[in-house]
This record gives sequence, C-alpha cells and structure tokens, in this order.
Amino acid sequence: MTKLVRDLMHRGLLTCKPDTRLGQVAVLLNQNHVHALIVADRDGRALGILSDYDLLAGEWLSSDSESLATMRKLTASDLMSQPVDSVEASVPLSEAVDQLIEKEVSRLLVTENGKPVGVISLSDFVAGIAQQEKPRRETVGDVMSDAILVCREKTPILSAARTMTEAGWRSVLVVDAKGKALGVVSGQDLLPFVKNGVDEKLTVSDVMHPALTIDIHDSLRRAADMLIKHHHHRLVVTDQNEPDAFPLGIISSFDIVGAMARPGSIWQA
Amino acid sequence: MNNPVGMGEQDRSERDKFENELKRILKASDDSAILLRVIGSLAFQIHCPEYGYLQAAMGRAYTDIDFAAYSKQTKQIQALMTSLGYTENREVFIASEGDRSIYDNPGSGLHVDVFYEKLDFCHVIRWDGRLEVDSPTIPLTELLLEKMQIVKINEKDVIDSLMLLLEHPLGEKDKETINVKRAAMLCANDWGLWRTTTMNLGKVKQLAHGYSQLSPEQKKKVESQVDEILARLDKETKPLAWRLRDRVGDRVKWYKEVDEVY
Repeated sequence: MTKLVRDLMHRGLLTCKPDTRLGQVAVLLNQNHVHALIVADRDGRALGILSDYDLLAGEWLSSDSESLATMRKLTASDLMSQPVDSVEASVPLSEAVDQLIEKEVSRLLVTENGKPVGVISLSDFVAGIAQQEKPRRETVGDVMSDAILVCREKTPILSAARTMTEAGWRSVLVVDAKGKALGVVSGQDLLPFVKNGVDEKLTVSDVMHPALTIDIHDSLRRAADMLIKHHHHRLVVTDQNEPDAFPLGIISSFDIVGAMARPGSIWQA
Repeated sequence: MNNPVGMGEQDRSERDKFENELKRILKASDDSAILLRVIGSLAFQIHCPEYGYLQAAMGRAYTDIDFAAYSKQTKQIQALMTSLGYTENREVFIASEGDRSIYDNPGSGLHVDVFYEKLDFCHVIRWDGRLEVDSPTIPLTELLLEKMQIVKINEKDVIDSLMLLLEHPLGEKDKETINVKRAAMLCANDWGLWRTTTMNLGKVKQLAHGYSQLSPEQKKKVESQVDEILARLDKETKPLAWRLRDRVGDRVKWYKEVDEVY
C-alpha cells in the first residue's frame, strides 16, 4: 500500500508571532526540541517558516556591537522563509520527497483541505528509513548503535555534559587522536558534580571510566551477560581483528531492550 | 561620489612617464619570470585601445602603478623592485600582514602598489589562479569588479568602468570579454559584493548620461551593458547563505570601511 504524507508527518504546529524576537524563537526551538517553527498571523495563517539554520544569521552577522544590536532587534518575520512550502496530508510520500529535493528545503507544512495540521521534515524521513530495518537479534552488530557520540580526552567536562544533553545521549565515548577508545563518560560519572559543582579545568579524562569492549560478532546473550556481571550500562563494540581502531559502535542496555520491544521480535510474539 | 584623487589634468608627458615606467617594470618582471598583472587606471588604459582616450578627455589622471601578484613571489618582487631603483615601505607590508607592498622611486617620484593574492578593500576579490588568464592585466571581469566593489565610488572609478563597458562585449569567457558568468558566480557567493556591485552598476548607468564626452549611442551602449550584467547577476542561482543574508539586507553593514582605495 502506498504510504501517504499523513503516515509519517509530525502532527501539531509550533508557531510564533511575526514580531517574536530571534532570542525568543531560539528558546521556543530549544524547549520544544524542534528545528523549525511556523510564523503565523493572528488568525493562525502561516506566513513563513523559521529554522535553527536561519537563526545562525544572528551569530554570523553579529561581528561588532552595532551589528549585534541590529540583529537582536530582528524579528521572526524579518528572517523567515516565505512562502511556506506545503503538501497535502493525503498525497503519497514520494510527492513530498520530490518537493523537498526540488525546492532544496528541509521541511514542508502539511495541510488537510488547505488547513495547516503539521509538518513533515527530513527527520521524519530518516525515522521512516530506520523503521525499514528488519529486526535481527543474533549478534551485537544487529542491535548496537553505529552512530555514537565521541570526544577527545582533553574535552572539558562542561562541554561533554552540554553535548550529551543536546544530543539526548546518556554517555560519550572518549577516544585518542587515532580513534582508540580510552574510556566512557556516563551520567553516573558526572553525578558527583551535581552536588559540588564542576571545576572548569576538569576534562573528560579526569572522570571517565574504563571502556568495556565486546566484539561485533559476539552474541546478544554474551553482551547481556557482560553488562550484568560488570554492572555496566554500555559496552564499546570493536572488531577483534583491529582492537585499537576507532570503535564500531556502542551497545547499551537500552539498545537490547529496544530490540526486545520492536514489533516482530520474539518478545512481542 | 566624493574625493577628487585621481582626477585632474595630466599632460601627455606626465602620462608617458607612468606608461613607460610600467613597460620597464613589466619587461623586467617578464625577464625574471615574475608574474605581475596590472590593475588600476593603467590596466584600463591598456585594455581599452579604442576608448582609452576618455581618461584624458574626462580628466582622469594616473596616480600610481598598481599590480596584482601571488604571495609566493613576494621575495622575488622585492628584489626586482629594489633592482629597479625602488625603496619599499616596510610598514605597509608588515601592517597588511604581507597582503600589500608599496614601493617608492625617489628618482621619478612614482610609487608602485602590489596586492598579493587579493584585493581587500570594501570586499575581497581573490586572484585565485586568475592571474594566468590575461596579460599584462588581470582579467576584465576582475578589472570591473575592482571598481564595482568600492562602496564610496569615485568619478575616476566610474570613468574607468565606462571605458571598459564601451570597449568590451559581455560573455562567458575571458579573452577580450567581460566574463559575466564569473562575476555572477562571485556575487552569488558573497551577498555584500553583490549588493555593492549592483548598486554601483546602477550608478555608472545613471552617471553615464551626465558626460558630454559620450555620444547618445555610447550612453545607450553603457545602459544596455549594465542592464545585461544586472540581469545575469540576478539569474544566477544563489546558495542558502546568500539568501539568508539577503533577508537581513542593509540593516547590517555589508562592507568594510575604506577611506580611499587608490
């Protein structure tokens, strides 16, 4: 059956008024964990769209105090893209893809009978692609996260904490200049600083714990076994033929639980 | 327009002094395999055999000899100029962090400006391998942009631009042609350059009508050349950064302040 825009779209709209200052728009995007919002008039009509990329202009063009003062006065209507590219919820997804490619935009306003009801963005398509992955649960490689958050050993703790928060990750892998895993910094490692505050000079190498590694071809059962026995929440996945190379991924208790929860897994039968 | 620097009567012997000295420097640089390309008023004169008379007719005077060069030949150029009797103003070279040299010839009273890698005034025009395209001047497109990037454009710059627009056709190549494709590409990558260039093209078109030295046909020619360039700049696909900068527009200053370019 042909998938429609409504099957993948994100329902609901985050909007702001045309006279909203850029700083306020940044707060809205950040608080709602979205990359763009619709600039709407008093009657809710979409006037334009404003993305986090557009907001970069604030920093980009604030080269001196005079420019900064000007940029701080700019409002959503000054920087928004218009007109808003839109697509009907009832059309096939392929039409939305064509529009995104042709117009070189990252998102489309979704309408139902002309009325805005949501947004479909590149992120929704990426999520759609992820859902196409066939569930497998034989090896560590089947369920690990290939894309991982990494930093070098000299990264300040404050910077690592901020990146973990923004990316929604619970840990960051610490590597050396050649990519070899040196350790992991998790929320647990950072907990002591909640009470006593962080010394800005501290780096991740001061607080990381040793990385526990597992081969990509090992079984999920062995991964679960190691996690439980060592009371770790994640393992660094490596290739045993190249143990010092940049890790292949990370497998966490959350990844294993996620595999259990997926439709089609033996746990859902 | 303001500032009359580069404007005033200049007799033939004075103009010959500049032109002959330019030939002497170019011959010496050729003999030493040094790549120097002429910019400024003399470059326009060289490249406009038919309309070059307008400089003298409109009171456009030579003030110095300007060159574009690559920084990898800085030392050879310094040695060359010394051998030709020039003294370098080291303060300029140091203050510009190696982007510019000024040489004075105590005997002739002439001075020479060398711009390495780029012209960096109101906007940046990079040589980027373009010095090999034409000889003995920089390509015609860069010559035009050299003038069009000046926010507070002077009459001398307008006169040079008029000559160039009258003398050369527009096209998508460089040989005896103003390569508008390249101008469009440079302006599409730099909103500020686009803003100043389009503003000054409009000024040149408007001011052309005020020169009694130009015939009605010549004024019309300038107008159509400017319109064609503007249309081509407009047609060029603009990247996201350009479009974003365009939304902010003139509210934020788009150029560097320069007191006097030449």
